[in-house]
Amino acid sequence: MARSEAAHAGVDDVSGDGEEFDPIGTLTLIGIYFVILVLSWVYIYYVEFLGRDLVVVG
Amino acid sequence: MHIHDYEKLWLAVSLLLILSLIGTVTYGAVGPGVAMVADSEPTVDATALDEDERFAEPRVERVGENEYAAYVVAYQFAFQPDPLVVPANSTVTFYVTSRDVIHGFEVVGTNANTMVIPGEVAKLTVETDGPAEYGIVCNEYCGAGHHGMSGTLEVVSQSEYEGQNGGDGE
Repeated sequence: MARSEAAHAGVDDVSGDGEEFDPIGTLTLIGIYFVILVLSWVYIYYVEFLGRDLVVVG
Repeated sequence: MHIHDYEKLWLAVSLLLILSLIGTVTYGAVGPGVAMVADSEPTVDATALDEDERFAEPRVERVGENEYAAYVVAYQFAFQPDPLVVPANSTVTFYVTSRDVIHGFEVVGTNANTMVIPGEVAKLTVETDGPAEYGIVCNEYCGAGHHGMSGTLEVVSQSEYEGQNGGDGE
């Protein structure tokens, strides 16, 4: 089971930047999702949409 | 309240993502000038298009230096004129209306796509590139022959266009 952050939060906060709970896997996963989102958006908007012929300008 | 460093990071990154999405759309509007099809045109009498100055004779005409207007009438089950011939590397404004039911006007594989409503005139301006041939389809179900309702848009070189139209200008 994961350690409960909340239980220690009050005490641990004093130490500042030292985070006891370290969900590096979650961070990595979110990072990957983020990269996929950014790449998809760049592709959909700049390549597929703006790259097509006859862009409506008025 | 304690917020984990990682959580602060991905909150910041999410906000950045939202700002980037808005930013790209803004760029599209300001840079390449992407626009929406608006309802800016006055209405017409769909039952009397043959008396309308623009739609009595659906055609492409030159309206300025390298600017052309294409007046298109959609009806069950075709587009007029067909083929629609416009010159390459020019600015073409389509004025599309219907004389019967709601149709669609989609230049296949491009961003030129609008709904065509009887009584309303859909106006969309595009900039053509080199010579090409596109299909035009109706993408709103308009009746029994809807599946066969298609047309052609031919983007031809300037010289070929002048040749076909006698270089008359107006």
